[in-house]
Amino acid sequence: MNVQRISAIFEKDIKDFMKNMMLLTMPLIPVVLALIYDRMGTEEFPLTLLYLIVGVTFSAVTSSTMMTMMAEENEKKTLRGLILSPASFVDIIIGKSLVTGLITLVSLVVSLMILGIDPFLNTIPISGLILQFLFFLFLGIGIGLFSKSIASTSVYLMPVMFLFGFTPMVGQLGFSEDGIVMTIFDTFPVMQAIEAHENSSWAPIGIITLWVAAAALFMFICFKRTVTDD
Amino acid sequence: MENAIEVNGMRKVFGQKTAIKQLSFNVEEGEIFGLLGPSGSGKTTTIKILTGELGQTSGNVNVLGIDAKQFGTADFKSKIGILSDNSSLYERLTVYDNLKLFCKLYHAPLKEIDVILREVNLEDERTKTVSKLSKGMKQRVLLAKALIHKPKLVFLDEPTSALDPGNMAQIHRGLQKLNEAGTTIFLTTHNMEEANVLCDRVAFLHNGELQELDSPNALRYKYSTHAFHVETFTGDKLVIENKRGNADQIRELIANGQVKTMHTDNPTLGQIFLKVTGKELV
Repeated sequence: MNVQRISAIFEKDIKDFMKNMMLLTMPLIPVVLALIYDRMGTEEFPLTLLYLIVGVTFSAVTSSTMMTMMAEENEKKTLRGLILSPASFVDIIIGKSLVTGLITLVSLVVSLMILGIDPFLNTIPISGLILQFLFFLFLGIGIGLFSKSIASTSVYLMPVMFLFGFTPMVGQLGFSEDGIVMTIFDTFPVMQAIEAHENSSWAPIGIITLWVAAAALFMFICFKRTVTDD
Repeated sequence: MENAIEVNGMRKVFGQKTAIKQLSFNVEEGEIFGLLGPSGSGKTTTIKILTGELGQTSGNVNVLGIDAKQFGTADFKSKIGILSDNSSLYERLTVYDNLKLFCKLYHAPLKEIDVILREVNLEDERTKTVSKLSKGMKQRVLLAKALIHKPKLVFLDEPTSALDPGNMAQIHRGLQKLNEAGTTIFLTTHNMEEANVLCDRVAFLHNGELQELDSPNALRYKYSTHAFHVETFTGDKLVIENKRGNADQIRELIANGQVKTMHTDNPTLGQIFLKVTGKELV
């Protein structure tokens, strides 16, 4: 890991991000959603609603931004320039994740401050948030590398948003509580984070860690495919 | 002199298609080596193997004393510079910001940016956004990007393909200067004039096989018929074989003041390529 190379990639990405209107508007989605919920005037928001904002932030900001940035690098062949430079896999991934991390943090904190950030100021919820961020980040990088063009990322973004971002809404679709569908959705990262939060339990954090490991493996495989033309 | 590149029995197969059949050659340190061949002959595949973008199916490849298995290391990557069809720039950033990124990635001093921009004649475009540059200007920024860290060995895949003759000549002067400073240059080109002007040695690649390898002058001599081509003032064009018995005929033409032009047979690299492979260099 080389700090100078990581900061060079970060500096380039932040300049590129500031000139990209599409990416600049993404962090506003959860903020606008939080403002709409806030206008509904509820005294205290249910945890499911707060985690819906969390899911939307991580899917619409973290995954989407990362997917777009990586797919653009891939499509325009600039990623090959980074790969052929002395920057390592870790330098490239960390350098490229810093901008996304920064805007996710700003977007999430602003959204949660609108709705009430207090429930999250605890070790377990914060651990859950960090792990969910990593899961959505790795998923975004992997899909961005896999999709080859910016246009095709939208095909993959929708399932990511609806399956992993809007998971707390699945319960509203009328599936049986004990049915197979709900059992599967209950294992998804956002649902596990809610469970960890509600029960102050570390076991669901372990399950989210497994999701992070799976996403990291997916990202690594996609990156390896991009390194050479073989 | 040490070899910068050593290739022995290199083969590359893609599925059912053999792109490179048993390629062997060396490139000496400080040399400008040209790989010539038509589209699909295996030039780009060869460059990709030599830069680690592709792995060879069999054979040994060694670049700057480093085996192909180690081409992914930072040490190897910092010693080489690449301009290929896979090279690209960040369109929303300025020329300076693009070069600054690569300066930092290669740990090169930032003052090199102004030096290299002067060499590729882009000083005035320093603060321009890349998307606003012409194709030729972008090609020169890519070249600057490949050279900014002063690599020991540069791979250039069709480096002047998008340039006008003026810019091409300037790039040629820059490459010659770079070579005089000790940088080894490995380039592929369709442009015979470019190969003629720049290369110490050229290799002809056709259907993944090396057909010829020598200096442009040696190849011209080898494939010349050595005959005299004479054009007279009356418009006659004579081809007189270069042998003792024909000396009187040439002497007589000169003595009678009939010779308008006279030169020995001097085939171009393109003509030699056609002769060797039966295929035009396009």
